[in-house]
Amino acid sequence: MIFSDDLNAQREPVLLAEGLVKQFAGRRVVDGVGLRCQAGQVLGLLGANGAGKTTTLRMCYGFLEPDAGTVHVAGIDRHADPETAARRVGVCTQDDTFDTDFTVRDNLVQMSRYFRPRPSALKPRISALLERFGLDRYANQKPDILSGGYRRRLMLARALVHEPRLLFLDEPTTGLDPQARLEVWELIDALRREGLGIVLTTHYMEEAERLSDELLVLREGRMVAAGQSRTVLGDLVGEHMLVLEAADPAAPAVREWARQVGLPEPSRVLSSLHLALNGPGLAQFSAQFGDLRFEVRPPTLDDLFLKLADKS
Amino acid sequence: MTPHYRAAFQWQSRAVLMRHFTVYRRNWHTAALPPLLEPIILLLAFGVGLGGFIPELAWRGHSVPYLAYLAPGMLAYTAFMTAFFQALFAAYIRMHYQKTWEGQLITQVRLEHVVWGEALWAATLGTCYALIVILVLAGFSITGWIQLYWSSALLVLPLLFLAALAFASLGLLFTALVPTIDHMNIPFFLVIMPLGFASSTYFPLAGDSLWAQLWLTLNPLHHLAEGVRLLLLTGAMNQHLLIACGLFLLMILVLIPIDERLLRRRVLGEG
Repeated sequence: MIFSDDLNAQREPVLLAEGLVKQFAGRRVVDGVGLRCQAGQVLGLLGANGAGKTTTLRMCYGFLEPDAGTVHVAGIDRHADPETAARRVGVCTQDDTFDTDFTVRDNLVQMSRYFRPRPSALKPRISALLERFGLDRYANQKPDILSGGYRRRLMLARALVHEPRLLFLDEPTTGLDPQARLEVWELIDALRREGLGIVLTTHYMEEAERLSDELLVLREGRMVAAGQSRTVLGDLVGEHMLVLEAADPAAPAVREWARQVGLPEPSRVLSSLHLALNGPGLAQFSAQFGDLRFEVRPPTLDDLFLKLADKS
Repeated sequence: MTPHYRAAFQWQSRAVLMRHFTVYRRNWHTAALPPLLEPIILLLAFGVGLGGFIPELAWRGHSVPYLAYLAPGMLAYTAFMTAFFQALFAAYIRMHYQKTWEGQLITQVRLEHVVWGEALWAATLGTCYALIVILVLAGFSITGWIQLYWSSALLVLPLLFLAALAFASLGLLFTALVPTIDHMNIPFFLVIMPLGFASSTYFPLAGDSLWAQLWLTLNPLHHLAEGVRLLLLTGAMNQHLLIACGLFLLMILVLIPIDERLLRRRVLGEG
């Protein structure tokens, strides 16, 4: 374990953000968003492109100043004491922002120089991080020789060098192959088990589902749902997802039925039609279209994402 | 002291400055070649080569060899060009391509520290390169090609640092404004190159017209070149040094907050 034991003893949220607002060029890109993350918890931030995920994250870790709202990191008001709050935060940005002029090891050394008080026992800590993230064999090489997966590992190691209590991950596995993604997931999961609070944004629904204890869904800068994934899906998508062939001769009748009972237009996904239904709706559908070949499955975050993207 | 200027003395600005120094120190064997060879080549080409055709130059009622006229001008030009070049090209590359700034801004370092760190580094490098020019000139002096008041040479180093800091803040202004790296040609060839040469660095400037007088009065590089020249050739403290000092301080006080505001808009999208 590379984090101090008192992490797990903390009861107050490591992140508490309330009423965050941000405008760019007169347009509100974040409008009244609030986040709460406990130690040892992963909070997933979901939304289509332009939903305000990265801007929300940037306000929380201090890259941007909110136009309104408050951010507390481990009880410290970021606005009143930005330096102390920043000391408790680690950030893994969407783009690789490691220093290409330094070797892998020196990247960690250099990162530590941007923090006061200086991280304790730095040398052994850096060695431990290099070993843990599988970077020790590349320690004396420049990061430009690293593969995508190892670049992400370096970003993670950099974010942890000063022993933060809260970690922000902005799309941490974008562009990685499935194997590299799985490895990063395992690292994130281990960090959570060690008591670090983690806030992540992602486009990958499987990633959000597997890693997040809580989800927060944004649409056009506003919160549209929050809670555990089942709750969020129930609120935003429905209890069941009905799937039928779009080419089925009965498809127009199904569309018409949906319109008559006040359901949204079934969404087309490749050769299928997807229709979200609650329990009574499903019973009604079965009574109406008993002869039709269709599949019913629980909704997934992919369904949610498609719905959000559709509305955006 | 407002936060714009207080940041210059905070540890975060030093951390940024030291980051650049560390990178430079590792590449010193290639990085030190230009400042070492450029003045030698220019002094040989202009001072010895061209100077051979201009045995003596009339300057402020004195008759001086062209090489002796050129040497102090090169000191001023080196501090000016090095600092500006660093703050324009190198800082832009770190900001835009290498994303070094973004990597710093996710720590306890804030934008004002990044700005000061860049400006202080450019000023440090400009001063160091000017010092190298002084050493090269000392070598020329040993050969007997040039006669200068060497005791005054080290006195000008603090002024050269101030000058380099002022020109770095000008460079950062263009870094904040140019849309792409290709657009840097515009400030470089329309502002910096003309300023570098039309400032009593390589040849004397004079004129009675209002525009000429305005240019000579308000041009800090002209005052720096003339002030350093008077000091090194005659050993006299002079008003050009004082005026240069005032103009450089003014540039720093005005430009750094503007740089910060424009870069905040560019890097963070705020403001």
